[in-house]
Amino acid sequence: MPPAESAGQFLAAGTRLADFTWVDESGLNRCLSDFRGGPLLLALDDAVWDPARAEDLAQFEHLLQRSGLRGALAAGAAPLEKPEWLGRLGLREARAMVLIDERGVVLWSHRGPSGSPQALLGLETALHACADRTGVTRRGFLITTLALGVLGSLPLAARAQAAAPANQPRLPDASGGLILNVNGQDYPVGSDPRTTVLDALRERIGLTGTKKGCDHGQCGACTVMLNDRTVNSCLTLAAQAVGERITTIEGLANGVDLHPVQAAFIRHDGFQCGYCTPGQILSAVACIRDGHAHDRDEIRVWMSGNLCRCGAYNGICEAVEEARDHMAEARA
Amino acid sequence: MRPFVYLRPTSVAEALQAVAGHDGGSFLAGGSNLVDLMKYGVESPSQLVDVTRLPLASIEPRPDGGLRIGALVRNSDLAADSRIARDYPVLAEALLSGASPQLRNMATTGGNLLQRTRCYYFYDTAFPCNKRQPNSGCPAIAGQNRIHAILGQSDACIAVHPSDMAVALAALDAVVRIEGRDGPRSIPVTDFYRLPGKTPQIETQLAAGELITAVDLPASGPARRSHYLKVRDRAQYAFALSSAAVVLETSGGHISAARIALGGVAHKPWRAFEAERLLVGRAPDSASFEAAADSALQGARGFAHNGFKVELTRRTLVRAFQELPAL
Repeated sequence: MPPAESAGQFLAAGTRLADFTWVDESGLNRCLSDFRGGPLLLALDDAVWDPARAEDLAQFEHLLQRSGLRGALAAGAAPLEKPEWLGRLGLREARAMVLIDERGVVLWSHRGPSGSPQALLGLETALHACADRTGVTRRGFLITTLALGVLGSLPLAARAQAAAPANQPRLPDASGGLILNVNGQDYPVGSDPRTTVLDALRERIGLTGTKKGCDHGQCGACTVMLNDRTVNSCLTLAAQAVGERITTIEGLANGVDLHPVQAAFIRHDGFQCGYCTPGQILSAVACIRDGHAHDRDEIRVWMSGNLCRCGAYNGICEAVEEARDHMAEARA
Repeated sequence: MRPFVYLRPTSVAEALQAVAGHDGGSFLAGGSNLVDLMKYGVESPSQLVDVTRLPLASIEPRPDGGLRIGALVRNSDLAADSRIARDYPVLAEALLSGASPQLRNMATTGGNLLQRTRCYYFYDTAFPCNKRQPNSGCPAIAGQNRIHAILGQSDACIAVHPSDMAVALAALDAVVRIEGRDGPRSIPVTDFYRLPGKTPQIETQLAAGELITAVDLPASGPARRSHYLKVRDRAQYAFALSSAAVVLETSGGHISAARIALGGVAHKPWRAFEAERLLVGRAPDSASFEAAADSALQGARGFAHNGFKVELTRRTLVRAFQELPAL
């Protein structure tokens, strides 16, 4: 076997993967050769459950369905009971992902913590290598790297083989799942009550404007409107928001016309990296609407739930002041 | 996060029924603290009963001239209520000093009362914690304890209660209304919380399966001259290192009654009864306030990193009195 190219990449590109078997979560014997004939994304994982990763898994599934790329899951490989085939793959950790082409040749592989810069970069490169054949978007692949931690509870391989047409309409879930109304439209977001509004928006619906910063209600990056009031979507369970109206950054503009607050943030450089910006803008809309933007000090107090690590606070305050005046004129 | 069953009843009776006889049952309101604790694995209810659809979200006048605040009134709505702002300024100020606008939009009156300490060790399941796991130990006593208690600690726990609202309610002699399987009961906020003692895991008088339905405020008269002062590491969006809620009544140039509650310093909102008594009959001046503050902090003791809180709290209390609006 050729040497691995990097710490994350444990199987060099071009390696032909020897066939091996494993028992999937349904108790069925699977073998790699079952999946030959098209590109395949193989995910290996232990069985630790994490809500965000479960959402990633759902996206992983959607991705596979949309693209026609097939996925196979070998989960439940708990760290303490490593099956023999993990060792044969040169794999010490249980968490890894391998992208192979139709001949079983490795295009990309990664092991260890998911979502690391190397992982993202590597998968992107692999994506370019087979983009024509898969039609997978860059965004989709970024999500997929995070889906390294794929879980045992879903017979993923079986489902992934039934490729669904692209742009399938998102109808309300007939199976009794949760439905969220976001920016005036209903979306099914699965039925796991642990799902937060934030994860539902980003990982289920694909509205990624709302950002995950701290995921603990301390930074405000995830701010959305719930029935016109700002809330931290990371601490709001999706189940609690069923039947309510959610507005995200994607719902502020009127077609191509930006919301006055959005336009003001651009004019005043109310950001550097931009990660906190959607949350800042939602808070600014509420701050102005609720009459808490009379002067700079008041704006600072009422915008204090949104942290900006770049320190673009001066630009943010200027943007709020300008948008306040602009919106007052528009009303007059 | 551990799996749980999610229920959303629409009446108090249904909600009580839903948790009755269910060991792992927990009520969920705004979720700003509980969901966070569940993410950290500190709380792991097997049944989550969402009470936000119960009809407990109004503020109603009471026959005695006070107000009944429904347990589901959001912190932002309570702070913005004109009756609260006018008649109970200490409460409006405390609410607005807490958390962030979006968290106040989520947090409820009942949930705020029941929020858990932000002690680092309580939150970090890699550490022992007597509050999280009885008899496992308290790493804060010999560890990082800058934010910890200076009053009423025990050998088992030196955590502080994080609520600003509860401190104001303690100074207002507010009463918690509770509904349980055996009917309703009421407990003054001052008696609602417990000191840690040997059982820091038991924080309030609330029995298993009981639900807070409202908080009653007594008639406002004296509360109109009240104030909340909070000192923290940054100007907004931080828990109190020290805070003081004060209510002062004067008559004929002398103090006729005073109420003092301190926050950020103990396992519960800390009423300084002795200091309150000391003020009665004295002139409302700095000398009196200094004397009251000395009394309130008598017996206070710090640890390796929070010794500064003793003097900080003394000064916070004096300044809270000094900043009271003139009548």
